Amino acid sequence: MKNFKLFLLTVIVFLPLSLFAQQTITGKVTEKATGSELPGVGIIIKGTVKGTSTDFDGNYSLENLNQGDVLVFSYIGFTTLEVTVGANATINVALNQDTETLDEIVLIGYGTTTIKDATGSVAAITEKDFNQGNIVSPANLITGRVAGVSIVSDGAPGGGSAIRIRGGSSLGASNDPLIVIDGMPISNTSADGSRGILASINPNDIESFSILKDASSTAIYGSRASNGVIIISTKKGKGTFRAEYNVKAGLSTLASKVDVFTADEYRALIAEIRPDDVSMLGNANTDWQNEIYQEKVSIDHSLSLSGQLFNSMPTRFSFGYTDQPGLRKTSSFERISSKLSLNPTFLDDHLKVNINASLNSEANRFAEGVEGSAIYMDPTQPVYDANSPFGGFFEYHTNGVANNANRNPLARLLQKVDKSVINRFYGNVKLDYKLHFFPDVRAVLNIGYDKSKGEGSEDRPTTSINGYSPDGGTTFLGTRRDYTSELTNSLLDGYFVYNKELADVNIEVTAGYSYQKFKKEGFNSFNKVNPQDKAPDVATDPDIVLIGFFGRTNLSFMDKYLVTLSYRRDGTSRFSKDNRWGNFPAAALAWKISEEDFLKDSNTISNLKLRLGWGIAGQQDISASYAFLGRTILSSNISQYIFGNTPILTAIPQTRLEDLKWEETTTYNAGLDYGLFNNKVSGSLEVYLKESKDLLANVAISDGSNFSNSGFQNIGKFTSKGIEFSIGSDIINTDDLKIDVNYNVSLNQTKIDKLALNQDIRVGGIGGGTGGTAQLHSEGFAPFSYYVYKQLYDVSGAPIEGAYADLNQDGIINDIDRYLYKKPNADVLMGLQTNVNYKAFDMSFTLRASIGNYVYNNVNSSRAQYDNLQDVTALGNLPVSVLETGFYSTSNVIISDIYIENASFLKMDNVTLGYTFRGFNNKDESSSIRLWTGVENVFTITNYTGLDPEIFGDPANNNYGIDNTIYPRPRTFLLGANIKF
Amino acid sequence: MITKYLNKIYFLLGFILIFSSCTNDLNVIPKDDDEFLSEDFYSNPGAYEQALAGVYGNLSLTGNDPSSSNISGIDAGTSQYGRVLWYLQDLSADEALWSYENDPGTKEIQRNIWTPANPVFRGMYGRAMFSVALANDFLRQSTDDKLAARGHTSAVSAEIVAYRAEARLLRALSYYHLMDLFGKAAFVTEADPVGTYQAPEYNRAQLFDFIESELLAIEGDLKPARSNQYGRADKGVAWMILAKIYLNAEVYIGTNRYADCITYSNKIINGGYNLASNYALNFMADNDFNEAGTNEIIFPLVSDGVVTQNYGPTTVIINGEVGSIEANGSDLGVGGWGGALRVRKQFAEKFLDQGNDDRNTLITDGRDINIVDVSDRDSGYIITKYSNKTSTGAAGSDPTFVDTDFPLFRLADVYLMYAEAFLRGGGGSESEALGYVNDVRQRAHASAISSNQLTLSFLIDERSRELHWEAHRRQDLIRFGLYSGGNYNWAWKGNGANGIAIDKHMEVYPLPSESIAANPNLTQNPGY
Repeated sequence: MKNFKLFLLTVIVFLPLSLFAQQTITGKVTEKATGSELPGVGIIIKGTVKGTSTDFDGNYSLENLNQGDVLVFSYIGFTTLEVTVGANATINVALNQDTETLDEIVLIGYGTTTIKDATGSVAAITEKDFNQGNIVSPANLITGRVAGVSIVSDGAPGGGSAIRIRGGSSLGASNDPLIVIDGMPISNTSADGSRGILASINPNDIESFSILKDASSTAIYGSRASNGVIIISTKKGKGTFRAEYNVKAGLSTLASKVDVFTADEYRALIAEIRPDDVSMLGNANTDWQNEIYQEKVSIDHSLSLSGQLFNSMPTRFSFGYTDQPGLRKTSSFERISSKLSLNPTFLDDHLKVNINASLNSEANRFAEGVEGSAIYMDPTQPVYDANSPFGGFFEYHTNGVANNANRNPLARLLQKVDKSVINRFYGNVKLDYKLHFFPDVRAVLNIGYDKSKGEGSEDRPTTSINGYSPDGGTTFLGTRRDYTSELTNSLLDGYFVYNKELADVNIEVTAGYSYQKFKKEGFNSFNKVNPQDKAPDVATDPDIVLIGFFGRTNLSFMDKYLVTLSYRRDGTSRFSKDNRWGNFPAAALAWKISEEDFLKDSNTISNLKLRLGWGIAGQQDISASYAFLGRTILSSNISQYIFGNTPILTAIPQTRLEDLKWEETTTYNAGLDYGLFNNKVSGSLEVYLKESKDLLANVAISDGSNFSNSGFQNIGKFTSKGIEFSIGSDIINTDDLKIDVNYNVSLNQTKIDKLALNQDIRVGGIGGGTGGTAQLHSEGFAPFSYYVYKQLYDVSGAPIEGAYADLNQDGIINDIDRYLYKKPNADVLMGLQTNVNYKAFDMSFTLRASIGNYVYNNVNSSRAQYDNLQDVTALGNLPVSVLETGFYSTSNVIISDIYIENASFLKMDNVTLGYTFRGFNNKDESSSIRLWTGVENVFTITNYTGLDPEIFGDPANNNYGIDNTIYPRPRTFLLGANIKF
Repeated sequence: MITKYLNKIYFLLGFILIFSSCTNDLNVIPKDDDEFLSEDFYSNPGAYEQALAGVYGNLSLTGNDPSSSNISGIDAGTSQYGRVLWYLQDLSADEALWSYENDPGTKEIQRNIWTPANPVFRGMYGRAMFSVALANDFLRQSTDDKLAARGHTSAVSAEIVAYRAEARLLRALSYYHLMDLFGKAAFVTEADPVGTYQAPEYNRAQLFDFIESELLAIEGDLKPARSNQYGRADKGVAWMILAKIYLNAEVYIGTNRYADCITYSNKIINGGYNLASNYALNFMADNDFNEAGTNEIIFPLVSDGVVTQNYGPTTVIINGEVGSIEANGSDLGVGGWGGALRVRKQFAEKFLDQGNDDRNTLITDGRDINIVDVSDRDSGYIITKYSNKTSTGAAGSDPTFVDTDFPLFRLADVYLMYAEAFLRGGGGSESEALGYVNDVRQRAHASAISSNQLTLSFLIDERSRELHWEAHRRQDLIRFGLYSGGNYNWAWKGNGANGIAIDKHMEVYPLPSESIAANPNLTQNPGY
């Protein structure tokens, strides 16, 4: 019915035109594979600027044509087709989906290009290449897909991901890449209570990722681009009415747990090692790790409708609902997302309007990390105790007075309700206006707005032993805390694009301005039942304002030689007037070798392009928001000083550093894009060198000269170099069988070249003891290198407790004898993806490998010693790895290199199998139902003895490569359906 | 044609102008209700008291709550001024052992195998220099010119005379600790810029001169002894620091100043202080307002379970005193940390077979006096000197953060200093010296001594009995020549279970390596 209306409209609009045509060609453009009409296909008369495009039903009409004219049909993602006009007044064409992808549009900063014209290191991943499976967080769509991009996900439901492009380039500033959604750079902080900056975004709304890896492509983003840029484009409406519904269900299961003694083994162990304590053993047999996890079903619905609203406005609306219980009991993630996009054009297509609006809601329940407590809890004690005053849970107490001992991990989960709801609106309005009086110039205005409002609370009942106790363990008053948080991010970009095609030269010049402001405010009630906790407080962060002026020129000579020059001047509110402006130039050259005469007709080498790029990008994302100002902070109510009887709020001047400036990263990149055998095999090879200077890091300041002994300074140099190689091929491509393989490998090496005053920086806080560190930034070594003692072994090869090599040979073993040993960064990362289609069946899997990454096994280092069998008033369990070392005292061994383990791994992230029924809606060939099943986190092959060799960490918080228990990543079994009509 | 181009240019220029006018937005200012531009903050007359409380507060507080710190390189709670001072004066000597040696730095400190990388040094040096920086900023902000420029009344300015003297006293106190512990420090005053200024190094003699001249200079501006608000310093505190540096002058500058020690001890003794009737009152939750607080304590580091929460020396000691076997937290008004602190054999022996003595709080039942394995918290004796209970038996306001103030200086110490200075030839009278010592002993119901028992070797032990765990021990042992070398070995000295001689260079600590790196004017102490 709808189609009929559209048809009528078409007839009404186009009929009058055809009446006046002298010689008119009409026709229909369809997609060859499915036969469905293709709307919006561009049709130009070759050698002219005259042309048209197909309507919503794929029909077109062109007048004033002569025989011999050549019509060029082009459409994104399809092979361009040329047809010469003959006598026939009807030309119907069927376009082939473009497997070469060279003409695929790639988003770059403030514009687009195509793969074949790209001069920088840009990787584009579109929907058809996305990972399949249980994708809840957008970043997981591309895990393992791009050479040089590492994505490590949190195991928590809806959890965030640590994304590193080429290993990152900062020490003390953020290593997160800049993420730009529909032209809007988003903040790297999320509202309190949110799972992460991308958590509220429905992955089903994403159309493509564009990953800018080298500075020649990122420098246009200036001050925020040194860690690379990820440009996300969301789906837009187009063409005829389409509806798509996806549903999937997953069962999350525990993949592995830390190996500790069973109850019976434990009884035997106590009898042997602490015979006096046998009386403290219980009669139960409890596997505490089993108690804290759950197997639950998650569900994900996603519906999208797209088409033309009022017959003229391409529109897409989507709605998503995700309910994902976590593996750790009580944790859950629920998301409701809705998104509307409108893309009308006005003024004879001179004004293109692009409106995106998303309204999302994220509801979380958090479960604290009780893994350590579950590992340690005595397995002979029961989970429940009918006589317990603590809600029926077993706890250590003496006549109801809590003992200072490990707490029941299950009670910690079940008795704490830690919830949040985050509502987020984000959207943008983009106006792209081709000037009427000067059509070579487009003026683009993009206004973006992103606002998150979070609300959360934390409650414990009075029966919880973990709540506030005013009398040291006799009575408990529970916990009652609530908080709110509000983040806004507003953007205004305006730029001009001048585009001119001359005989042998194409020129594109872009120049513009960008303004962005981030605000954050939050309220925290603190524990309302604890009168000794801080008073309720509203905390308002200083605004962060970033302003940039940018320009870029793309020149193309004879479609063989490409030059890109770009420049950005950026200002940040983080630095003082004298230092706040930074300049970020970049240049790139590309040579399409395969266009040269000597290769033009080669059947072997169908595409060969050499790219050389150079550029400088910056970094200013540090926790200090305006360290250059002289500021004073008044203390909280619990940090006062008492004069006489009167508590006085203490005023503390804040660290003041007026000389802070940008961190700068210069990247040199050489790339070779290749296509062989008519692009049946294609890929690229990249070599890069990144040099970061004026590194921002929080380091020691000359004592007494400032209001701390440390603060951010521009302190050093850092290099990162690497090679990336990717190859992809549709090995078999027949009507019945298609096999498609993509492989990428990247080698990366990072090294600190210089630290100011040769000053090593201690990092890597560890558990077990208060304030210990196990890593060091040191000149000549990789960042976060482990800094440990060299373990000595006896003749039988067994480690000798507390015996270390006296590396400085002074006869004393003290912390000068620690040495730098291994690092958490992988040397080699690999990804392999395979898609197989046989008739209506499809199968895909993703393999990912990491080689040369080491982990400090803090689970073992702080727990696997016999002395930990007994704490103050209770017994405690140990990891069975204690049997291998035989160690007794934690403090003797915690910094031993024996706990630095090779955590190289091979993982199968997902495997899916599907079957598609086509044309179920018998009139419409493009309708289909696909049923599929799959497994997520299929297997891990590693020598690492801990739970998972992939440690989710955050270098900006000095936490990288230290395994002090993690939220385990579930193994998920999936069933899903995908319905299109 | 030209107009056509002009139109375009105007259009472009207009576009650019609209956007570029916003660059002023880069000038952001604080928006939080607890954060101010300093210039705005000091326009409020009440600001000066809050800023002075900030200078004092650095002796007890580490940041905006007990788990945050405004200095780094060390665990936040551990970075508390009194706690690092206590670690370096007591943990490194014969009185105490910390059981959790996986707490970074503690093992090396208490076994005398430290290096410049030890985080406790970074904490002590950084915290004390932070006091200097805070005092300097107070002095910068409270000059007559600034007060006048901000339009403050003369009433405000009058009050600030004493404030400024107290800020200078606190700066001198920190330099006294730095001189004692490290033998040197960067010398920074209010005349130096804020930023990354690399101050010159002052050696012990220069610091000694500065502390002495500074305290003498401010004496007139300070309030009379015992007349200031509790928690704030007065003349008595200045005299005490002077008496301390004179008593240790032979160690610091190689010059005998015992006569000056007698002079300033007398000033304190005549300042109206009195011993509390009961020794234990000095270490209780109400030691701010009980008899000890009003009469005996000369200068406390304030602690409060509600408004001044910190992981300082009293919180650590009282929670640490709770035994692993005894679980006697409820006796001390705290939850306790399972046997974190014990005493070494040589300290326990100073009380054993000595008869009645209130100061002996040892718990020995079921415990071996020897600590063979430091992590075995059931071995070794424990004590209950400090308590989070009040003199009336009520528990302090919080089971973790104690109300008990740390008595940094108190009169009993002055009595013993007088006797020592007398014995070392500083003048004074023997009868007074003996009287003071016996006052101290008899207050604890210990037997009086006779004049022939009044010897230096008696005094060093008596100081331990009276002043143990009050952050004096290392300094005392050095002055008596018992710290380095092998004349006196205690359990775990030099990393031997029964004690091993340590080298003389260990009488001063090394400057933290980070501090030397950040200020190349600093030089490392010999031997490190």
